[in-house]
Amino acid sequence: MGSAASAAVPPPPPPAQVQAGSLPYGPGLAGILPPKPEGEEKKEEKKVDYLNLPCPVPFEEIQREALMSLKPELFEGLRFDFTKPLNQKFSLSHSVFMGSLEVPSQSTETIKVPTAHYEFGANFLDPKLMLIGRVMTDGRLNARVKCDLTENLTLKVNAQLTQEPHYSQGMFNFDYTGSDYRTQFQIGNNAFYGANYIQSVTPYLSMGAEIFWLGHQRKSGIGFASRYNTDKMVGTLQVASTGIVALSYVQKVSEKVALASDFMYNHMSKDVTASFGYDYLLRQCRLRGKIDSNGVVAAYLEERLNMGVNFLLSAEIDHCKKNYKFGFGMTVGE
Amino acid sequence: MASGAAEKGKALVDGSESAAESAARWAREWSTWAMKKAKVVAHYGFIPFVILVGMNSEPKPRLAQLLSPI
Repeated sequence: MGSAASAAVPPPPPPAQVQAGSLPYGPGLAGILPPKPEGEEKKEEKKVDYLNLPCPVPFEEIQREALMSLKPELFEGLRFDFTKPLNQKFSLSHSVFMGSLEVPSQSTETIKVPTAHYEFGANFLDPKLMLIGRVMTDGRLNARVKCDLTENLTLKVNAQLTQEPHYSQGMFNFDYTGSDYRTQFQIGNNAFYGANYIQSVTPYLSMGAEIFWLGHQRKSGIGFASRYNTDKMVGTLQVASTGIVALSYVQKVSEKVALASDFMYNHMSKDVTASFGYDYLLRQCRLRGKIDSNGVVAAYLEERLNMGVNFLLSAEIDHCKKNYKFGFGMTVGE
Repeated sequence: MASGAAEKGKALVDGSESAAESAARWAREWSTWAMKKAKVVAHYGFIPFVILVGMNSEPKPRLAQLLSPI
């Protein structure tokens, strides 16, 4: 009664401190109690079944994402393609091209040849048999056949036949697909023989090797390739005894955007090329652009105007060689 | 072919060639002749073959559809 109530209210007791991330049992108990079983379950989910790996991509398509993004079919002039489907599997195609084609030359100058041609094609596409033939007005035939001989064995034939003798080329490929490997044997004209083998090593990594033999020039070569593939990125490496080292990396940034880069070193000609490009897959268009270490800038646009009608624009600018290529075209039908 | 001519020259000089050599030469010439004929057949016949296979697939398209431009 006489005690003066102090103005200071005693502080409330400190709340029970919850330490996030602390051990649920004190450090002293860690050595005694067994580790939590949840950690073991997580490890088992990630455990790889090495006897059940996925089938790798074919050896020649090891760099397909990079090639699709960085090497569109650039052209100069006018291009018009019309595909007429007669059937679910059978279609005819008519194609007109008027413009310049570049002829490979030894000197630094580019040689352009103005050409105009009409190409008629017939396509038969069946799951088991694919026949594609294209014939031009000058008599050149471009034929591709893909036939499933058995469930795992496929025969592919690729031929360019010309009216002039000794200019025709043909290649027969026999592909065998196993559970986690692929192997291919090739026979071509000029006594070309080749074989390659690719194997899935982990769910993400596949490695392969190839050898080839050119009969008429008595040249042979061996190469090694590997590909690391996840949902978001693809990285490949290729080394060949012809002195070529090629690396590529593609990153899928989102559903609509992919970025790709490519590096090639040719030991024989001491040539180094690096390129970097993007690939936008939008609803109405597909735009691909790239820039090169040689100073070449290129872009390719496919705009969907209507169902089955595509408008194409292609551009390639090389200031160093003074080579400017602009083309436009239209594709009707798939 | 250069190698074929050289072999023929050798046979003439030797005056006789063994059965194996003549069989090999005959096989090489015959396979070259066969490849040349096969190339001509493929060149002229591939597109008609694709059209034939396509026109006989189900559902069968009509000839008018093949020839009309629409």
